[in-house]
Amino acid sequence: MDFVGKRFWFFLISLLVITPGVIFLIIAPGLRPGIDFTGGSSMTLQFQESSSVTQQEMREALSNHGYSESTVQNLGNNSFFVRTKQLDEEAKDSLVEGLTTSLAPGSGNVLQGFDLVSPVVAQETVLNAFWAVLAAAVGIFFYVWWAFRNVPSPFRYGLAAIAALLHDATIVVGIFAILGEVLQMEVNTMFLIALLTVIGYSVNDTIVVFDKIRENVLIYANRPFPEIVNLSIAETIGRSINTSFTLLVTLLALILFGGATIREFLIVLLIGVVVGTYSSIAVASQILVTWEQKGIALPFGKKA
Amino acid sequence: MRRNARVLIVIALIVAVCGTILGIQKIEFSQFERGGDTPLGLSLGLDLQGGSHLVYEAALRDQQTGEPIEVSEDQMHSLVKTIERRINSSGLGEPIIQILGNDRLLIQLPGVRDPGRAKTLIGETARLEFKHRSISVDPVALDYIVPEDVVSITADDMRADGKLMSELTPDDINDQTKTLVSFPSLVVDFSEFGADKFQQVALNLSISIALSMDAAQRGDILPPDLLVVSVTGEEELRFQVMGDQIQRMATTTRYVIALPAGEDRMSGVITTAQAREKLGTNPLIKFELRKGYSDEDIGLSGDDLKNAYPSQHQGSGAPIVSIEFDDRGTKLFGELTKDIYAKQQETGFRDQIAIMLDGRELIAPVVNSPITAGTAIIQGPDFTLERVKDLSLLLESGRLPIPIELIQERDVDAILGADSLRKSVIAGMIGLMLVLLFMTLYYRIPGLVASIALIIYAVIVLAVFKILPVTLTLSGVAAAILSIGMAVDANILIFERMKDELRAGRTMLSAINIGFNRAWPAIRDGNVSTLITCAILYWFSDQLGATIVQGFAVTLAIGVLISMFSAIVVSRSLMRVLALTPISRKISLFIPSGGKEIADRRSS
Repeated sequence: MDFVGKRFWFFLISLLVITPGVIFLIIAPGLRPGIDFTGGSSMTLQFQESSSVTQQEMREALSNHGYSESTVQNLGNNSFFVRTKQLDEEAKDSLVEGLTTSLAPGSGNVLQGFDLVSPVVAQETVLNAFWAVLAAAVGIFFYVWWAFRNVPSPFRYGLAAIAALLHDATIVVGIFAILGEVLQMEVNTMFLIALLTVIGYSVNDTIVVFDKIRENVLIYANRPFPEIVNLSIAETIGRSINTSFTLLVTLLALILFGGATIREFLIVLLIGVVVGTYSSIAVASQILVTWEQKGIALPFGKKA
Repeated sequence: MRRNARVLIVIALIVAVCGTILGIQKIEFSQFERGGDTPLGLSLGLDLQGGSHLVYEAALRDQQTGEPIEVSEDQMHSLVKTIERRINSSGLGEPIIQILGNDRLLIQLPGVRDPGRAKTLIGETARLEFKHRSISVDPVALDYIVPEDVVSITADDMRADGKLMSELTPDDINDQTKTLVSFPSLVVDFSEFGADKFQQVALNLSISIALSMDAAQRGDILPPDLLVVSVTGEEELRFQVMGDQIQRMATTTRYVIALPAGEDRMSGVITTAQAREKLGTNPLIKFELRKGYSDEDIGLSGDDLKNAYPSQHQGSGAPIVSIEFDDRGTKLFGELTKDIYAKQQETGFRDQIAIMLDGRELIAPVVNSPITAGTAIIQGPDFTLERVKDLSLLLESGRLPIPIELIQERDVDAILGADSLRKSVIAGMIGLMLVLLFMTLYYRIPGLVASIALIIYAVIVLAVFKILPVTLTLSGVAAAILSIGMAVDANILIFERMKDELRAGRTMLSAINIGFNRAWPAIRDGNVSTLITCAILYWFSDQLGATIVQGFAVTLAIGVLISMFSAIVVSRSLMRVLALTPISRKISLFIPSGGKEIADRRSS
């Protein structure tokens, strides 16, 4: 298989995937911050004794009324504590009425408390997490630079690993910006954590491929660099596919059979695993080759 | 073989210990307590576990009128900060704290390990004050007892059975069985209204005596309040008494106040005859109250502390709180002790430092020499280890900016929903089974070994989470999934390398050794870069206060460290032992495909 020869196609694919996401990120509203970060309204609802509403039914009913991004906590005795985005008087009344009709008709006055509620997590957390990730990226860059000190131009490996990391993070965030626009999905703390997980996976995966290149560069010192990279990818692709396959199996099992509350979180991880595996082969390694060839402007794959 | 066997025994021991840790729901040694009624006794966050749902209301009231005062947004925010600090350092789990409306606070705590302790930690205002307690106080006139309140004043002897000598009947006198001592006293008849007023005074005096005696039992000095009586008739009669020397004659408005009988340095001994003389025909009586002590606020409080930590009293071993003042506190505390010491040298009065928590006295030590180093200890009669720990925590996290009242308390389900989580756990199990099945089918024996190593990995990780303890939230689960992924990856890396070596015709044992050695740099670099990421994420989020990121970093770091151990030590030892058994001759059991060819090639 000739991976290196197709590198400009790989770059084109990445560009095509990244661009719409970035466009959606730039045009308003970009990412929609969830109620974890913005606060909103909270209410305590008490349905009549005989109704036996479950947390899941409650969540589904909220979803049906257009409040899919709410948290529901069962307080016992058919009583629920619900956090939603901020509701005005009218929206509140119609939501409460709608919920009562669909869940426990004839419950009478179910609303026991209605308040504005402050954010659980300060909005700065997202920004802080961003800075933390950036700092971590710098740390990874230096480590990779050091770990690859025995091969020529080790800092290129560091930069390529970071490029792959940013590539993966941008795609995941971009896809979420699109989903936010189309499906009203919001960014919550779970999303933040999923993104950190994707970044961790991406770096690990990139380093495995780089390790093979490091080994082969020393073994086949006389061969041209692109060939070495190609060989290394060919030798690690079995492992890459197997590792990501096992993760995808676990994630798919969770998405299909698991509870609804963590589905979004798992979808982010799923995208992240696919993108993270792809970027090690198609982005990080190809950046090394392109840099070596000093020819980003070369026509697609002719020379390699 | 010997070495491998030893390693296997060590692994078996570790697994046994970890299995026991997980198997025992609740682990308790004197001060060490882990586990609870959660699955495997793990400590879980609110997203994974239900807990308590507490609603508090700001109870800021005007000190004079008692009218509620509106609280500001800033006050609510600093309230949240303080409570957050208190809970986070107490080990009660990661709370969710939200401001409801303008003046209410929603606090959700995972699990209900100790609701009482949680409520004390949240609700205590923890206002610690250091006051100058003077024990020489000027008397204050009780002007509200006016001359009209008093009907008559006489001097008389009171017999020990509570009868006045001048009012004894002949029967009383002839009663030879009673030869009782009598005391010189002042008899004051009040008006109905006056007696009511004086009763309050007498009551407060006797309470003060009780407190003083209580303090004496603890070894503290707490002088009682005194009543100063001055009567002006022919001559001035002035003396002071304690509360236990004042008696109301039953069912009357008459009070009998003992005259000084010698111990009173101020007024000496006064006999009934002397008193009668001084009283004359139309005496006028005035009362003054001399407080036993008075506490003066010197502006030194818990806000001036730098440090507070639990320790033990050097002499008695009793739990105490050691404190260190900051610069301002050191200066004020130094001045306080210097003042008290100087006064003691000049006047002989041993003033005290009254240490009060939320208006209640903890201890009032005397000063033996000025203390300018800025350290002190706090003792309390009811101090237990736990109380001392919590108190240190309260003092360090600062006092609540406004008092709060608990207005609602309920149980609440996990944010992610118990039903939904149950499904996810089952789904996760299915996923993991599929992974183990895939590895075993694809990589054969090594896959099986890796699966066993993975299960061992899971047992160790969970046991470590339980012992530390790490509070597992969804972010922790994400980190765990990532570290499982990396553990699987490490195994796959090793097997791919091993397969290459077997294909190249090496023996089983050397293929295993070389496979592990070749895979090691990739595993090391991948894991080390992840650990670096964890360290930076942890440090950054610690600086910036992003707890969720922090939790993620900690769990991931633990997971990665154990996953390295599992791949390198556990898998390798198991493989080596297997290589020495007859199974190892069946090479096709060790590589996914093409194994047959290699075997054929070798035999040919």
